[in-house]
Amino acid sequence: MAAATLKDQLNGLVNSMFAEGLLDDQFTQLQMLQDANNPGFIAEVITLFCEDAERLLKELTTLLYFQTLDAYVHQLKGSSSSVGAQHIKHGCIRFRQFCEENSKEGCVHALNLVKHEYYRLKTKFETMVQLEQRIQAYEGQQQQ
Amino acid sequence: MGLEDGGSAAGAGEGGGGEGERFRVLVVDDSPVDRKIVERLLLRSGNLFEVIAVDGGKKAIEVLGLNYADCSVDLILTDYCMPEMNGYELLKAVKEHKLRKSIPVVLMSSENNPQRMTRCQAMGAEDFILKPLKAVDVQQLRHYTRPAAAAAVAMEAESAAKADGKRKLPPMKVVGENKGSERQPRPRLARVAVS
Repeated sequence: MAAATLKDQLNGLVNSMFAEGLLDDQFTQLQMLQDANNPGFIAEVITLFCEDAERLLKELTTLLYFQTLDAYVHQLKGSSSSVGAQHIKHGCIRFRQFCEENSKEGCVHALNLVKHEYYRLKTKFETMVQLEQRIQAYEGQQQQ
Repeated sequence: MGLEDGGSAAGAGEGGGGEGERFRVLVVDDSPVDRKIVERLLLRSGNLFEVIAVDGGKKAIEVLGLNYADCSVDLILTDYCMPEMNGYELLKAVKEHKLRKSIPVVLMSSENNPQRMTRCQAMGAEDFILKPLKAVDVQQLRHYTRPAAAAAVAMEAESAAKADGKRKLPPMKVVGENKGSERQPRPRLARVAVS
């Protein structure tokens, strides 16, 4: 499939993610950092984010103390903010509020919400990375 | 440059400063996502920066200890919230060290906390930037970097000033909180003259 078609698919996916509020302007900042010298930057950042997020969500599921919970949620809020993952970021902000209130019920609800938003985003990020990699492979072949 | 686990160097070479030379920035952040993004921002800034990235304050201290003889770090850009040794503790360790204290330190945080900013200012931080960093923030960093040659001069001047009994005041004030849209000025430490 021609690179142009793949790029159209990728642009369509990214635009829909912006329209749904899954991504904010920070993701645009990341896109500007990708160029011919570093064509895999977005895929690398997404991969790092997903690995980090899954590690943090796993920790959050097993933790009992609010102070430790807050520390991990802070980390997840930071990395989601850095990649433009808007819904996850906002979910983490609410999560931290429940931690401050020492509300177990609130924290359980917030954790489920953040997990839901993460897996929803992850599916689309995986498609994005696959498209990026196919485009790079196609353009690499064209240059040979 | 031989860095152990938890560190990486991009564009590593001689220390920065001067016309056409690059500034060497030590990036300290426990988040692999943020390290990646900050490193990319620095490397894309018109060939101004070389980057060493480490994942914590203790690793940063090791790097500074190994490299200080060459004065090869021109700026430390560190996250505030990190386990084991946070950004403030790293700042304090640098500013209280007789040989390292001239290295400029800029802190980053996702938390807009005026008390935190004031505390860092009092300890000698050059600036305090809200995360996520943007290209415009990185462009500002060049004003804080310290060429190796000028660092040696600064150290000599500081020693001479202390010998004369004169006290230097850091000319800074904390700018107010940033509320509302992204387009408003971001909180940072602004330099003003203090008489």
